[in-house]
Amino acid sequence: MNRRNFMGFGVLAMATLPAVLSAFDSIDFRKTKPDTWTAKTVDDAIKALYGDIKPEESGVTVKAPKVASNGGAVPVTVKSDIAAKTVAVFQNMNPESAVAVFNVPEDGIIDYFFKLKLKATDENGGNGVITAIVEGADGKFYKGKVALQVAKGGCEG
Amino acid sequence: MGNMKIKAKEKDGITKVKVLIKHPMLTYDQAKKKGVEANFITHITAKVGDKIVYDVSTSQFLSKNPMLKFKFKGAKKGDELTMSWVDLSGKTVSESKKIK
Repeated sequence: MNRRNFMGFGVLAMATLPAVLSAFDSIDFRKTKPDTWTAKTVDDAIKALYGDIKPEESGVTVKAPKVASNGGAVPVTVKSDIAAKTVAVFQNMNPESAVAVFNVPEDGIIDYFFKLKLKATDENGGNGVITAIVEGADGKFYKGKVALQVAKGGCEG
Repeated sequence: MGNMKIKAKEKDGITKVKVLIKHPMLTYDQAKKKGVEANFITHITAKVGDKIVYDVSTSQFLSKNPMLKFKFKGAKKGDELTMSWVDLSGKTVSESKKIK
């Protein structure tokens, strides 16, 4: 191999490598993990999405009002400083558990706000809980949760 | 146009986005009672250029006319943010907004 060609190859390799590393594709978790969305309990939904995991209960903050007067639009915020691959949100009030699965881009900031429809907590007795699981770039799982009461359900016709 | 209200503001390298989407987000239970097909947004993506900055698979439990907020790094004022969603019926809507 002559020297000029060798150099050319090196430059080409350096130019293409970062492009490959930074490629970030959209993932449709409804297609890749269909069972997650039909699971009736939080544990089953987590299992369907991530398998048998034992998340650490740290590093993830979930915010919601203690008492939501209107279950039709309950504001929820999920925050974490963990370098993450995905963030999944579940709740135990509605017929199915999965709420949303975020695919976190490189350098992504986990500070997600959204509004949920939730059934009144007295319909199923006890507390409503919103759970967030963060799949870290380190391969570990982290968990955060918040308890809440929903006074008037938002899922009725 | 007019399906989404998008606000995107950049400060110190972080862009904050607030989006309001018009969609009934009809759950399976609600649809059954009304005798219509369930329909809700199943996936939402935001891009700046070719780069995905927000990507989420969603369920029927987002509120009606869902509101979302998120933050991301790497964009600057004047860049165009494109939000897209797809629902269960297969309908897709994309709208763009310049980052302020």
